[in-house]
Amino acid sequence: MSTNAGIEQELNINVEDMDIVYERPDTLTDTRMHYCPGCSHGVVHRILMEVVQELGIQDKTIGVAPVGCSVFAYSYLDIDMQEAAHGRASAAATGIKRVLPDRIVFSYQGDGDLAAIGTAETIHTANRGEKILVVFINNAIYGMTGGQMAPTTLDGMKTSTSPFGRNPDHVGHPLKITDLIAMLPGAYYVTRVAVNNPRNVRVAKKAITKSIQYQMDGKGLCFVEVVSNCPSGWKMTPVEANKWLEENMFPIYPLGDLKVPSDDK
Amino acid sequence: MHDVQSIVRIRSGNQMVAEGALRAGCKFFAGYPITPASGIYKTMIDTLPGKGGVALSAPDEISALAYCVGASLRGQKAMTATSGPGWALMTETVQYALMTETPVVIATVQRLGPSTGGATQNAQGDVLFVENCTSGGYTIPVFTPSNPIECYELTHIAFTWSELLRTPVVVMLDKEVGMTSEDVNYMDIHDLTTLSRQRTSMSGNGMDKNIDTYYFENPEDVPSFVPVGGEIKSTVTGSAHNKAGRLQKNSPETLEVLYHLQKKIDANANQMELVKRDIEEGARTLIVSYGITARTAREAVRRLRKNGEKVSWLNVLSLFPVPENKLRNSLHGIERIVIPEENFGGQYRSVIENVFDDQDVVGVNKIGSMITPDEIIAKVV
Ligand SMILES: Cc1ncc(C[n+]2csc(CCOP(=O)(O)OP(=O)(O)O)c2C)c(N)n1
Ligand code: SF4
Ligand SMILES: [Mg+2]
Repeated sequence: MSTNAGIEQELNINVEDMDIVYERPDTLTDTRMHYCPGCSHGVVHRILMEVVQELGIQDKTIGVAPVGCSVFAYSYLDIDMQEAAHGRASAAATGIKRVLPDRIVFSYQGDGDLAAIGTAETIHTANRGEKILVVFINNAIYGMTGGQMAPTTLDGMKTSTSPFGRNPDHVGHPLKITDLIAMLPGAYYVTRVAVNNPRNVRVAKKAITKSIQYQMDGKGLCFVEVVSNCPSGWKMTPVEANKWLEENMFPIYPLGDLKVPSDDK
Repeated sequence: MHDVQSIVRIRSGNQMVAEGALRAGCKFFAGYPITPASGIYKTMIDTLPGKGGVALSAPDEISALAYCVGASLRGQKAMTATSGPGWALMTETVQYALMTETPVVIATVQRLGPSTGGATQNAQGDVLFVENCTSGGYTIPVFTPSNPIECYELTHIAFTWSELLRTPVVVMLDKEVGMTSEDVNYMDIHDLTTLSRQRTSMSGNGMDKNIDTYYFENPEDVPSFVPVGGEIKSTVTGSAHNKAGRLQKNSPETLEVLYHLQKKIDANANQMELVKRDIEEGARTLIVSYGITARTAREAVRRLRKNGEKVSWLNVLSLFPVPENKLRNSLHGIERIVIPEENFGGQYRSVIENVFDDQDVVGVNKIGSMITPDEIIAKVV
């Protein structure tokens, strides 16, 4: 006796009749990403490559991603991709942009990379007004090396090297490097976004689109911080991580523009 | 009933480096994450503050070592830990510590290189990179443990020599030695004497507040230490300097100081020699190993002897200064020396080749995967 009686039916799907509402852009390779479930990296890869596809600049775009969890970005982003030494991405990108000024050049860096070991490179790249896009994935932790405390780690936040929570008396408060960048005259467009929900993904994508358009117009440094999660390093499920992101990261790293071009207001 | 013959815990080489440092009186640690050395950083963060010390997270390796040097200028025993990419960034401050005669211990856990290399692959490729990092070619003492107990003991010994000679000393692991956890019987740790640098004392004798920071009588003497922020004015420079610690070019006194930096190490080289030997009467082959290949060599020796073959084995614990005496007096009846190393070209072999007389010196070299006992056996006569 079957309890499914009456549920089964012929479906007869006709592919031609269906609209494609969502597909992988050609600028992303058909490869399964190694990122942990729920990690922001994969979403940012995707919107970056959607923008490259939409602007038709796949063969003009060059990326630099240093070590960090995104070290394998070259496997996913189907453009010229370079790995750089830890912290040196914006310096390597500078060299590339200076000899290929007509290309679209971006660096894609974690917080450990950009705001710890690469702080000097970051500040000087911005101060020179280097005409590149810096995508800054701030997950407040060194993800790849096993979740150690970074300069961006929140006060009181537990990591493998702050087992009792970050103590600001001992190591200072989280470094809001994006705020510093916004103060530099060389920085043209500085904004802080997130990819934790569809609305924020749209805003983030718009920020990246704008940044690349500015670069095509020969404007200065564009800096997009993506306030991100690291479910594994934070020892949370993806859902918990996104909740924690909203409740704890956003108050310290508030979303929104920090600097918009004066000719754009 | 409890058995005092064994206190067994599961420990990694990295954890034992940290514990050896604490035992030696390390009071200051600064670190930056890097696989395969992060375990040392984590253990120090977890334990040092509870022992009245300072464990600090640095924004990069350049700062990490510089923090340590600053603490040591005050007289604190200090250590940092890294791997090849971090070592590359530290070398400037290694040279500074050497020139300023500032004791500091650097644990470096090798991984596959060059550049960012392979974080999770074993290698022994930093031997010459570490040893030859100074302009001028000064000896950097390097100790190479092959198991957790040796990690503990050699880190302790590294502190001792760093303090006594007032120079940077390296404990060099490889990924397998650092990250492998195994049973450790704490009762197997040998008696260790903890020593510290000799300090200049002001007491009683009405000493001049302005005595020379680097005063020594004979070039092989180690100047007694003047802590920064103490009663005696201290002047420290990483530039070529006279005994007062003031920049000077090519004066006889400055050259004397530059020679002294090496001579104080040469004068103690014999005493620093540290090897473990398993010499078999009648053996014609001597296997010389260090680090993880000691574990492979041990198994090769076991298999050879099981088949009734004679073979001798020497494991080098003090890689630099080269333990020339102990190598030389292990050569009785030896016709061939086999040196397994997980690097190109045999980095250590190239250094010790000229210590041997007529022996045939052969390497077993490989990168990217570990040397097997059979690969060593194939080279044994
Ligand atoms: C000179 C040097 N030091 C340390 C490392 C080890 N390392 C690799 S990735 C990384 C941190 C990455 O953290 P982050 O940039 O925040 O990226 P995430 O993984 O969090 O995305 C570190 C410290 C290295 N490769 N090179
Ligand atoms: S460790 Fe963190 S940053 Fe890295 S892939 Fe996993 S969740 Fe993402
Ligand atoms: Mg990070």
